Amino acid sequence: MTAISSASGQSAAGQVRPVVPPVPRPDINRKRLARMGWGFSAPALVVIAAVTIFPIVYSVIMSLNNVTVTGSGFSLDGFTFSNYNLLLHASLWRDALFFTVYYTVVTVIVELVLGTCIALVLERLVAGRGYMMALLLLPWSMITVINAELWAYIYNGTYGVADYILGGLGFGHPVILGTPTPAIIGLMIADIWKTTPFVAIIVLAGLVMLPGDVYEAAEMDGASGWYTFWRITLPLLRPTIALAVIFRVLQAFGLFDLPYVMTGGGPGTSTQSLAILAYNALFKNLAFGPGAAVATSTALLVLLGCLASLRVFRVQVGQEGN
Amino acid sequence: MRNRKRVGWHKYVNGVTISTLVTVLFILIPLYWLVASSFKPPNDLNNARLFPSSFSGGNYSNAFVGYDFGIYFRNSLIVTLATTALVLVLGTLAGYALGRLPMRGKFTTMVILLIISVFPAVAVLAPLYLLLREIGWLNSYQALILPYTAFNLPFAIWILRNYMIGIPKEMEETGRIDGASALRTVWSIVLPQALPGLFTAGIFCFTACWTEFLFALTFNSSNNFRTIPVGIAEFGGNFQVPYGTIFAASVVATVPIGILVFIFRKFVVSGLTSGAVKG
Repeated sequence: MTAISSASGQSAAGQVRPVVPPVPRPDINRKRLARMGWGFSAPALVVIAAVTIFPIVYSVIMSLNNVTVTGSGFSLDGFTFSNYNLLLHASLWRDALFFTVYYTVVTVIVELVLGTCIALVLERLVAGRGYMMALLLLPWSMITVINAELWAYIYNGTYGVADYILGGLGFGHPVILGTPTPAIIGLMIADIWKTTPFVAIIVLAGLVMLPGDVYEAAEMDGASGWYTFWRITLPLLRPTIALAVIFRVLQAFGLFDLPYVMTGGGPGTSTQSLAILAYNALFKNLAFGPGAAVATSTALLVLLGCLASLRVFRVQVGQEGN
Repeated sequence: MRNRKRVGWHKYVNGVTISTLVTVLFILIPLYWLVASSFKPPNDLNNARLFPSSFSGGNYSNAFVGYDFGIYFRNSLIVTLATTALVLVLGTLAGYALGRLPMRGKFTTMVILLIISVFPAVAVLAPLYLLLREIGWLNSYQALILPYTAFNLPFAIWILRNYMIGIPKEMEETGRIDGASALRTVWSIVLPQALPGLFTAGIFCFTACWTEFLFALTFNSSNNFRTIPVGIAEFGGNFQVPYGTIFAASVVATVPIGILVFIFRKFVVSGLTSGAVKG
């Protein structure tokens, strides 16, 4: 209370001399305001730390220990590197890593190209752009599990509509979710349907903010539309596209809902992502040590990706820091 | 300048309108399939009929009566609303402090929050599960509200901080001169100015909680505490997946979030674009 009343007294005193430029606040006042600031942020920071930082540290500890499951829980039986050793030598982890990376690369590229096309079209749309935005947001806001069920139904071998279409086009009747490659493609299509609109919105917002005079200059110089796109629009969009890519890549490393519901990681382990592998190890096989190692290594990969991309962000973050 | 003037029928049939139509169909066709299937009687579900032979509400009543979709809906609503309220209150306080008060280490805190906000949930799954089991919180609302709050707070703090920074200092000083307490200043002067930020943070938090699956699946497995995503994922029976019921439940689950996103679309777009990362 004292901090606050003295703070208001300070401002009131400053108000009496209006001509004097704002004096730097006395140190003691700053200290009080800072204390108040930490007081205000403490509840939020404590909750975040309790649910993220503490468990992550614990995950690392678990992954570096021999974990034995006992009747009432589990116990940590001394330091070991064997959990990570297991990862490096297990084809399961390598396959999951490969699938996650492969899936991420393909979906992100397709979503980016399609999303940019949609954004370029919508930018030229004169009427109804607001409604189009709302429509684009619908897949984004949908529960991923619903998306998964819907596409699983479409791909269903006996009564799915994809089966009818493929049969009608003369592709026969592949068991889509029961064969590795079609299952992976099927997952990707479901992902592309849900996430392309999200990418389109980000790119569209970037497009709208591009300076108009550059285009006028290009038009005066007689640049073709195609040339303008490659030499002006795309380079100017690079920060926006980088943002969308980073968002998507980090998100894709947590890939879980879609394959868990649609394929359960199968057939075999062909659609087993890192997150599904960790989940199965932890909660199906109760292998807490290796499971924690998978989880920790995934987090580490994400962290490395984040630090690498921080180079891109730093300029923008730094501008705000005061 | 880049919109050429079009005359005659070119005004309506041109590259832009055709591509827009393709986009609309790309989004709507799967959604149509979802809605149409939810109204189909059982026989129609076993073949790829384009239109239901007759409209049936049977799937909808089955979702609520035959399955416990009502319970899942209530659970999702409780968890989502409680989390959103908590995130907005805690996020406003922290966003205000980190945006406007002279704290040392502010910048570091914001960067740490940024890193935390991209952490995969699976990294904290096991320790969190063990912790919740230790304190007896498995299968409870707080088992989800606590982690959801923590995972949605970083983004909310970033968004709200950005709005707080933009508020002129004079407005705040006016409150101080009038002798208002710090909390009162935040409530009646800062908050109204940061309203767009609250909408953005709120709709993102709501959507994230409404759609979250991994935590809900792991922490609340008992039927009475399942949320919609887990409920829908576990509708599958032993012999056949009851797609009609699943899609009826899906439509009911999608309508509220769809309406919210439609109303707040401006704020969603601003959150997606100037979001946590751009700062």
